[in-house]
Amino acid sequence: MKRGRHPMLNRTAVGAGLVMLLGGCAPVQPWQRGDLAREDMQLISDRAQAAFEDHAYFSKEGSSGGRGFGGGGCGCN
Amino acid sequence: MQLRPGLLGAAAAAMLGAPEAAPAETTWDVDAATLLYSEFDGRVSGIESRLRGGRELDDIRQLSLGATVDVLVGASPNGALPADAPQTFSRPSGKGDYTTQAGDLPLDDTFQDTRLALDVAYLHTLDVLRAKATGFISAEYDYLSIALGGVIARDFNLRNTTVSLGINVAQDTLDPVGGPPKALSIMPAPGQPTGRTVRTLEKQVHDLLLSLTQVLSAQSLLQVSYSMSHARGYLTDPYKVLSVVDGQGAPLRYAYEGRPDRRLKQAVYAQYKQLTAGANVLDTSARLMRDDWGLQSLTLDVSFRFNFRPDRYLEPHLRWYRQSAADFYRLALFDGEETALRFATSDQRLGRFDAITLGLKYGGRLRSGNDWNIRLEGYTQIAEIAGLSAQAAQALAARAIEPELDAVMLSAGYRFRWTP
Repeated sequence: MKRGRHPMLNRTAVGAGLVMLLGGCAPVQPWQRGDLAREDMQLISDRAQAAFEDHAYFSKEGSSGGRGFGGGGCGCN
Repeated sequence: MQLRPGLLGAAAAAMLGAPEAAPAETTWDVDAATLLYSEFDGRVSGIESRLRGGRELDDIRQLSLGATVDVLVGASPNGALPADAPQTFSRPSGKGDYTTQAGDLPLDDTFQDTRLALDVAYLHTLDVLRAKATGFISAEYDYLSIALGGVIARDFNLRNTTVSLGINVAQDTLDPVGGPPKALSIMPAPGQPTGRTVRTLEKQVHDLLLSLTQVLSAQSLLQVSYSMSHARGYLTDPYKVLSVVDGQGAPLRYAYEGRPDRRLKQAVYAQYKQLTAGANVLDTSARLMRDDWGLQSLTLDVSFRFNFRPDRYLEPHLRWYRQSAADFYRLALFDGEETALRFATSDQRLGRFDAITLGLKYGGRLRSGNDWNIRLEGYTQIAEIAGLSAQAAQALAARAIEPELDAVMLSAGYRFRWTP
């Protein structure tokens, strides 16, 4: 069986997937949010740890930011 | 469940799952954490402690205050390459010198710093709209940063979709020890006058962040962000030099680095979280970044929180990072290049390397409801030689000069409620 796929098909599939994800999913009702309200389901569930990571990587790598502001505020870079 | 207010991305997430506002109370959610950081081979070690408290002022307003102290000691690479003979460097102040033994990486052993940072955030909620104002100040002996920021977020689609827009403006002032050297000027011999004037320098950073957070199901959500950061002013590291080598790869002299006075960074970031098996949490993220200095990077991050008991969890973490070198990155210069180039740096943070972080976190909740955690991580950079002219590459071909960095990070955190 042929396993190759046309690149255009892949792009279409990815695009369709994104549309389905962002626009096509049925809204989650307020009473269904128990799991989403869990502390470990927050996008940043441990803020101190996130701050340590941002500081360490900012001072050792050429990139910063993404999930928050590029930051800095120190002479470490 | 009490939700902790978060900054920006966290705010967007909290908004999605936020219950009806609780009555005002004077209880603070306090988050205390400490990080121990240590690089191998006698390089930088540090301790960073952070204390943050957040409370609800009333039904619609929240306040958080934070303080961070970090102390760094040890030795930091000064940018020069190892050599076959001992190398002596002037100290940044121009007073005194230090010597690196043959074959060793030159490290400035006076590297030490203490930093104090304070931050404040105020969140105001108006139905589906939320506004947050932030302030930040950080001070160390040769660097001061003051920043103000704001975020506006709005929920749509039964709070399943949140769009947020944030801006942040930072004003930094630097007072380099001994004054800022001229870009690519030659380091004076020990004991010789530096010819530099001590003066204060400035740097401004403007940040913009646009985020879309989407609830995908009752157990999963996705955030996609675009961020832009524009810095202008003094962006050079005044303490870093480059080796200028001869045809045999031996250092002739050392040139101070110099960088452009503007930098524009852009990044796209995506994060996906999924609750699996009703208890465990998969957290994945990817970031693509590029800037107008020619640096591009990709970061992939995955962690899995295994809640093996209602009050205990284990969380392995893997992060992979790759960056290309900035256009003006030079591991070293060949004799004469320092007069022909406008910008050059040998700072490994602008070089080409891969980095891997591997860690494990263990934590839990006490009967009191307070949370604790401890995390151990290893970080290693695998660098490639980059930015050498053909002559310099030939001269240094037989030498092991790939920059290396290995570090361990140990952190512990404790979260509790405190009523004054």
